[in-house]
Amino acid sequence: MKISRRDFLKGSATTLFLAGFNLPALAASSKKKNLVVIMLRGGMDGLCAVPVIGDKNFEKRRKSILIENAIKLNSDFALHPKLNAFHQCWKENTGSIVHATSIPYTQRSHFEGQNLMESGGRVAYQEKTGWVGRAMNLAKLQGDGLALSLPMPLLLRGIPKNNNYFPADGRLPRKDTLDLLKSVYADSSEDELLEMMNFIKKRKDEQMMGGTGNWDKRKNRNLAKQAAVYLRKSDGPRVAVFEVNGFDTHAAQGGVDGTHTRCLVEMDDIIKNLKENLKEAYKDTIILTVTEFGRTIKQNGGNGTEHGYGTAIFMAGGLLKKSQVHTDWPGLKRKEMYEGRDLNATIDARSVYASAMSTVFDLDFKRIQKDVFWGEDLQNLSDQLFKA
Amino acid sequence: MKNFFRKVAFGLKPEEKAPSDPLTWAQKQVESIPELNWKGKHIYSEKEMRKYWITQRVEENTTLRKKYKNDPAGFRRAEKQLENDTGAKYWPTNEICMRHAEGIRSDNPVLAKLWYFWTNHFTISDTQRLPEFSTGAYHREFIRANMDKTFETMVYEATVAWPMIMHLDNKDNIGPKSKSGKEEWRRREKEPATLNENHARELMELHTISPKGGYTQEDVQELAKIMTGWRPKWSKQKDQGSDVRFMSDRHEPGTKTVLGKTYKRGSKSLKIAIKDLVNHPSCREFIATKLCRYLITDNPTQQMTAPIIKAWEQSDGYLPEVHKAAIKVAFEYNDKYKKFQNPENWWLQTINMSGSSYAYPIPEKKMDRFQLGVLVSQDLREPDWRLENIGYHPYKAKQPNGYSDISIDWLSTELIIRRLMYAKEAFHKYKIKDQLDDTIHEKIIRTNFDNPDKILKIVSKAKSNEEKHMILFNLPEVLRA
Repeated sequence: MKISRRDFLKGSATTLFLAGFNLPALAASSKKKNLVVIMLRGGMDGLCAVPVIGDKNFEKRRKSILIENAIKLNSDFALHPKLNAFHQCWKENTGSIVHATSIPYTQRSHFEGQNLMESGGRVAYQEKTGWVGRAMNLAKLQGDGLALSLPMPLLLRGIPKNNNYFPADGRLPRKDTLDLLKSVYADSSEDELLEMMNFIKKRKDEQMMGGTGNWDKRKNRNLAKQAAVYLRKSDGPRVAVFEVNGFDTHAAQGGVDGTHTRCLVEMDDIIKNLKENLKEAYKDTIILTVTEFGRTIKQNGGNGTEHGYGTAIFMAGGLLKKSQVHTDWPGLKRKEMYEGRDLNATIDARSVYASAMSTVFDLDFKRIQKDVFWGEDLQNLSDQLFKA
Repeated sequence: MKNFFRKVAFGLKPEEKAPSDPLTWAQKQVESIPELNWKGKHIYSEKEMRKYWITQRVEENTTLRKKYKNDPAGFRRAEKQLENDTGAKYWPTNEICMRHAEGIRSDNPVLAKLWYFWTNHFTISDTQRLPEFSTGAYHREFIRANMDKTFETMVYEATVAWPMIMHLDNKDNIGPKSKSGKEEWRRREKEPATLNENHARELMELHTISPKGGYTQEDVQELAKIMTGWRPKWSKQKDQGSDVRFMSDRHEPGTKTVLGKTYKRGSKSLKIAIKDLVNHPSCREFIATKLCRYLITDNPTQQMTAPIIKAWEQSDGYLPEVHKAAIKVAFEYNDKYKKFQNPENWWLQTINMSGSSYAYPIPEKKMDRFQLGVLVSQDLREPDWRLENIGYHPYKAKQPNGYSDISIDWLSTELIIRRLMYAKEAFHKYKIKDQLDDTIHEKIIRTNFDNPDKILKIVSKAKSNEEKHMILFNLPEVLRA
């Protein structure tokens, strides 16, 4: 019997609901594990962040924007020298890279690409939920998502009642005001608004911006500190989502001090502050990155790069098996490249994400593959990348 | 019925009498483009504003960098002073005052609400210091001023305008086989001429036919070739700040084929290509759907878009006719669908319904006192900050696709916290006399709602007038229109 993807989704959702008690939801005894996703918007250049060593095809196509003094990771790959926090994770055996990977999207539109990196699908704008949200739904993690941005990202949709943190000025309204509005939302079946009111009621004034000109609280590095405080609590959220903008460097991408570097360092600072402030909980955490596509190997006339295909995923945290560059390297000769211009992707990034979620959410890989990624042909990398 | 005034505009002021024929009232407003309501003295064209942009860029990137090569702190200080000298912190707030005066003080709030729609459609996102100097002027000169023309005219003008060319990197879109591409210095300096597809892609994807138009990567590249050469001439004195023109020495020779049609080399092809894109069936469908999504519901139906598409076809995309059709559809579906209002429109509705538009936007007299070179005071910067805080700064979208029009994107804990805080702030825009007026909320409610008693009952539970404001403007009936 052939059923369409949408019908299948609808069907599976009902079945799951009915069979709720059979779910491999977290056993009370098992530890709380955290997933942090950092979305790198604009197309992160995997070859700027993790350049390949000794490939003449690469070096001659990128003369003006080549990264100097890259840190050698192994015989084949190096690390951008400004990524100090990640390098520290690497040295402590809790930092890995998956290279020559991408979501299965080969057109070159940011908006389609960003929609797909969050939805996990193949047709842009078709899915209205995100892969993290759907997996959280499968693991029954309602109320456990936290976005460190103003609007709620698509990535977390698919499970209701997520929270976000991006502090505002001023003080919170008094409790009676909130209670009155809460009762109105309840009476008018405004479920989303009602849930937000519940979160607001838990908020404290010191989590607001307070004072004047305290804009720093909204910088990613400081959001990471607050997120870590929430995540390390036993009743806190289990999933946090960050956004780093500005990877779209068509012009002036620059070398080691360029715009792309600035964005990568912002990502690195998130990792650094999460690690420091998660403390013990770091060992029960996976941090990983998502981007819509990589960038062309060849630099353009403006010392920038165009939208490409294959890229890299950064991962950090105590749940990683070991430090490694996991890749099935496709090579950079013209015929080895995608359409003769881009790094090819030999690993579906969703295989990495499904494997990570299988580890963090204690869900069987096959269930994630089936119910989150519509049974698509994904590879179970859990044993290779993560601790059991 | 009364929520129609909020759906297509920003509600009614407490003492305002509801127009007896709402549909005609709304449709009349989009027939022509009146002068701006704002009477401040600092209203400059995009080109005039570019002078400040040039000063900022040239000074910052050359003079200051050289002078403070080994003194980062000195550089930051000098950069701050430079920002005062060029008005970088003043212009955006001044432009927002002009923008918002249209919504809550003018006789054509419906036109204003549609203007905001188009400024988001042709987003200039936050890059290259455009928000500080150019985006506001761009919105007035290339978007608003073309709202009584055809969509084709608007697209062409919006495309070749300097801020858009800069924003989408078309200045770097150089034909590899062009005269300039073959020049010796490019080989010497290792700066080969290459296509930059960014603008061409967005012209199709965001501005005209959308991905439903079925174009391929090859179409994008071919359209990029048509667009080669449209750029400002670079000079050391102006950086990239010269007028955009067609530089034939950067133009890719040969014919180009986009969506099966062939275009000749030269400057005229861009206009023809835009005409063809605008007349593609996907374009009118895309725009009609977006208009319905903005005004009526997250999920527009074919029944909603059909009359707009028809008006488009009959008028050759004449925007006043397209707008009238959209308003009519919004009128017909008024009771059945309630659209969650985006943060900016919610804020304007809150001010307008409160009747405090005497205090917001900042009065002209106060804005006009500003002088270049002086630090911009905090209270003058408020309009700018508020929009950023509320998650909807029209000059600071992160990406060229602008802000979403889907309700769920405006629903998050933080965004609701901000609506609570700003409802309170709106109350404090009142003069003391109004703050003490215990009948003000009843007036607001009776003027703006068909079911005043139900709403009055809820609001009367609040302990103070300030609290009444916070409750009223966060009721589901007000959040949606």
